[in-house]
Amino acid sequence: MTIQVLNPGLQTTIQATPRIGMRHLGVPASGAADPLSMALANRLVGNDLLAPALEVLLAGMSFRAEVMMQIAITGATASCTVNGEIAQLYATLRLAPGDEVHVGPAEKGVRSYVAFAGGLQADEVFGSQSTYLPAGFAGFEGRALQKGDHLDLAEADHTVEMLQTPAKFQPPMTDSWTIRVGRASETDLLQEADQLFAARFTIGNRSDRMGLRLEGEKFDIRSDGRMPSAPVFPGTIQCPEDGELFVLAVDAGTTGGYPRVAKVARLDLHVLGQLRPGNQLMLIERRDADAKSELREKHNYWGAWLPGPERII
Amino acid sequence: MFVQSAGDDLISISVANPREAQDFALRLRESQAYLEVVAGLDSVVVQFDIASQDRNEMEKRIAEVIAQPGNLRTSSQPVVEIPVCYGGEEGPDLESVCEQLEMTQEEFIALHSGREYQVDLAGFTPGFAYIGGLDKQLNVSRRQEPRVCVPAGSVGIAGGMTGLYALQGPGGWPLIGRTSFILFDAAADDPFVLVPGSKVVFVPVAAM
Repeated sequence: MTIQVLNPGLQTTIQATPRIGMRHLGVPASGAADPLSMALANRLVGNDLLAPALEVLLAGMSFRAEVMMQIAITGATASCTVNGEIAQLYATLRLAPGDEVHVGPAEKGVRSYVAFAGGLQADEVFGSQSTYLPAGFAGFEGRALQKGDHLDLAEADHTVEMLQTPAKFQPPMTDSWTIRVGRASETDLLQEADQLFAARFTIGNRSDRMGLRLEGEKFDIRSDGRMPSAPVFPGTIQCPEDGELFVLAVDAGTTGGYPRVAKVARLDLHVLGQLRPGNQLMLIERRDADAKSELREKHNYWGAWLPGPERII
Repeated sequence: MFVQSAGDDLISISVANPREAQDFALRLRESQAYLEVVAGLDSVVVQFDIASQDRNEMEKRIAEVIAQPGNLRTSSQPVVEIPVCYGGEEGPDLESVCEQLEMTQEEFIALHSGREYQVDLAGFTPGFAYIGGLDKQLNVSRRQEPRVCVPAGSVGIAGGMTGLYALQGPGGWPLIGRTSFILFDAAADDPFVLVPGSKVVFVPVAAM
C-alpha cells in the first residue's frame, strides 16, 4: 500500500485516457473532464500526460502517503496543504512517509487533479483505465474512492525533477466563461438560432460528468419529441421540448433523441470540466474552418510546455 | 444519402433506416480512418481528427463508401426472452401512457408483449438497446423533461420504439415496466448481450 484515502470528498475518481472507438457499442469516452489540467499535473511529475491520476470534484479530499513520493496538484483554485502547511498548486511536491495531503474545496473551477510520479495503478477496461461510474468499471474497482481505500503507484521509486508550471501555462479559473461552438444537425429547428449566441446561461446544479444544464434562457424548438435517436458526442448541446439546453460531457451516452442544436468546438471541450453550478456562460459561434485553425494555434501555444498537445486538446 | 457537417470534427450522413445505418457504419469502420463511427436510427455520424485530417478528404472517402453496393445481412439469431414487470412502481409512466393512447393497461401489455422484435441499434449507454417494430398504436413521444435518474432495467417507449435502460442514469423515455434481465456485464466474455439484429420478445411477469 502506498496511498491511503483519509477523506474521499464528494467524488474522487481515477481518470486517464479517454476510450476511443467504442461509441458504436454505447461505451462513452470518460477520461478527465478537464484533460488539460490533468495533463499539466502529469507533466510536473514526469508522467505520460494521460497517466492515471485523481480527479477531485468540488469538495476536495485528503490522503496519506505511506512511502516517499512526488505529486502535483492542478485544476480548480483551491487551498491545499501538506501536514497543515500550505502547498503550492502547479508545482512538484515531495512527500515523506506519513505526510497528509489535503486538497481544499474548489474556490473557482470545480475539479482538481492530483498526479503521482510513476502514475496510479488502475484497472483497465475496453482499452482505458478511466473510471466510468454509470456502469461501474475501470479505475479503482469501477467506483469513486471511499475512506480507507489503498491505492498503489504503477511505478514505485520514480524520482523526478522538481518543476513549476510557468504562469502562462496555468489555465485561469473564473466565474464567467465563454466557449466556442459550431452549428449542429438540428440547429435549424430553433425558432431563433441567433439566440444561442446572445444568451447568458447559468450552469445548473444538476451538472456532472455526463452533462451540464444551461439555465436562464429558454428556447422555442420545432420538435414533437419523436426525433429518431441519433449519435451525440461530448460537447453536443441538446434542446428538449421544455426549451432548456444541456451540454453533454465526457461520460455522456452515445446516442440521444433530443434535437442537437450546437456542438462545442474541440478546442474548448476541456473547459466543460471546470464549469461550476452558478457560473455564467456565453457561447461564441465558430465556423468549422475557424475552429480548426484556432485549434492549431492552441496546439502551437501549449506545445511549448506539453509534448504532444493534440492528444490533450 | 445526404452528407453534412454536424460540428467542427463531425460529419453526418443521413440514411433511410436503421439497417442501412448499421451496414453503412460497419463499412466505414472497416477503413479505420475515423476516431468514431456511430450509427443512429436514420443517420451515421463520423468523428475525425481535425488536427491531422482534412474534412474535404474525409467527405470524399465517405462518398466512395456510399457509392459501393450495400451488404444488408439478415440475421438468424435465437430469440431472447426478456421478462418485463409492467406498470406500478416498475413502470411509473404506464398509466399516463395508456391515458394518452386511450387504452387499458391490459390492452397495452397484450400489444407490447404480443410480437417478436428486432434490435435496431445499440447505443446511449453500454447495453442500452433500441428495439423497433412497435405496434403503430403505441407511438408516444419522449417526456418533455428527462428524468435525472432512471433505474437499471427500466423499459421505456418513445417514437415507435422500445428502449431497455441497461444502467441507472438519466433518461427521457416514458417508463412502462422493468426487467431483471442483465443487459450489460463488463466482466463477461461477451459484455454486450443484445446487438443490432438480435431478436427479442417481452414476457409479462407479475414481479421483478
